[in-house]
Amino acid sequence: MTLPVLTLDAALAYPPRISAFTKTFWDALGEGRWTTTCCSACGRQTFPPKPVCPHCWSAAVEWSALSAHGSLYSWTRIHAAPAVFAAESPYACGIVDLDSGIRLACRLVDGPDVVWQPDMRVEMVVLRYQDGPLFAARPAA
Amino acid sequence: MTRRVALIGTSAIPVGRHQTADDAALQTLEHEIMTRLVIEAVQDAGVDKKDIESLVFTLPRPYTRQKYFHTFLMGQLRLSCRGNVMEVMGNGMTAALAFDQACNDILLGRANVALALGINMESAVPAAEHMMSSMRTTGDVDFHTSAGFTPIAWYAMDATRYMHEHGATREQLGAVAVKNRFHASLNPLAQFRKPMTLEDVVDQRPIVEPLGLYDVPPRGDGAACLVLASEEVAKSLGRPYVLVRGRGFHHDGSHQISDVPNDMIAFDSVREASATAYAQAGIGPAQIDLAELYAPCTIVEILVSEAIGLVPRGQGARAAMDGETRLGGRIPISTSGGLTSRGHPAYVTSLYNYVELADQLRGRAGARQVRGARFGLATGELGNYNAAMVHVLEAMQ
Repeated sequence: MTLPVLTLDAALAYPPRISAFTKTFWDALGEGRWTTTCCSACGRQTFPPKPVCPHCWSAAVEWSALSAHGSLYSWTRIHAAPAVFAAESPYACGIVDLDSGIRLACRLVDGPDVVWQPDMRVEMVVLRYQDGPLFAARPAA
Repeated sequence: MTRRVALIGTSAIPVGRHQTADDAALQTLEHEIMTRLVIEAVQDAGVDKKDIESLVFTLPRPYTRQKYFHTFLMGQLRLSCRGNVMEVMGNGMTAALAFDQACNDILLGRANVALALGINMESAVPAAEHMMSSMRTTGDVDFHTSAGFTPIAWYAMDATRYMHEHGATREQLGAVAVKNRFHASLNPLAQFRKPMTLEDVVDQRPIVEPLGLYDVPPRGDGAACLVLASEEVAKSLGRPYVLVRGRGFHHDGSHQISDVPNDMIAFDSVREASATAYAQAGIGPAQIDLAELYAPCTIVEILVSEAIGLVPRGQGARAAMDGETRLGGRIPISTSGGLTSRGHPAYVTSLYNYVELADQLRGRAGARQVRGARFGLATGELGNYNAAMVHVLEAMQ
């Protein structure tokens, strides 16, 4: 699944660590590909990607596509931020239920005209910072 | 006969600003506070130094310079023990775990008298700096913290969802803060005691929308010591005591958020833990006379009160607005003033909740006294109530 990429003229405030395993996810995300692991034994996806299936504990996991669309379960706008995020505050974060059945939490692409509402439709996007990507959601087009 | 555990003594300093800045000429030293509290709690219990066989400490904050604080204090007090000396840690559940572990030591026969105690100092560290550490405790440090999530942001999302599903209003949430401030005004241990109005709460600046400054916990320092004993010891002392009648624990198998969509505001773990504790106590929620909930934000008190059956689902906010959970109401909640006004020195917060229940169930709560209080309930938690600990206590005269 290919996601829209929004390029930002800034560095990540708190860059995620990357392992030999998660590198696959972050590298793909950087190219707009939205993926996670799926268990070959029980067939269930999990997110964030994991080298062992949390459901059946099989290590036979494969990379698979995530849904690019979903609905917003809930959201908040964070005004009191940790020191490294102070320059970005206030910023919005939310919980998204992807159409393919995965729930995740991510940054929301906020703006003066955006009205966030639980159960509204959203689409996933890539925020391409100078030093790496993050996944985020915005109101569906 | 099965052993039973009693809470027989308590001590605490008022929650507030006790920590000194690094450059202050005179420093507040944690062990000086803690040793004094041990003496006070042991005197309150009516036992002797030689009776103490286990000490379960809450882990100090990283800002406490003295490491291995627990065994350092053993030296300060020249206490030798056959039971257990340890520090426990479980984020917000830390102090509930200390209490629970002290119960275990008594039930296992390792101790007849055990202390659950600790100190949490953090107020001299600015909030934005403190959050650099706390933001790493909730969620996945790589996949969530990188997006800017903070601990109370998760509770804020609970509030958004609750308001969406049940039509609750900002004012109804704020009623919890007003009610707790009123309770705190009657509690000498409380950090914020000046009464306030609903307007005061709703007018505050947003912290994590929809929650404002008075919907979220203040930061503060605290320290407390509890004395627990076998019921046999408690009976021999000839004073009122508090019996631990039920204990329950549940972890829902997720950390902050489940990738399998669930009802995040049902707080299943505390529902499960309370069911276990009620069953052990042989009572139901209708028998509870008061509850001291680990509820960092107004919304959390509402959700927990519903999950443990004190208030019907979706009615918690309305119940707070209608005064049902206020002193004198149908089921008083957070008579100490709760985390929003009594204060929230996180790693020892639950110790203060047990102090309040001990005061109430021994009839010593003064103007806050819940008349005829027999059964009290306390909760502890971590994450977004992903795990919960529940204790049901009973007054024994």
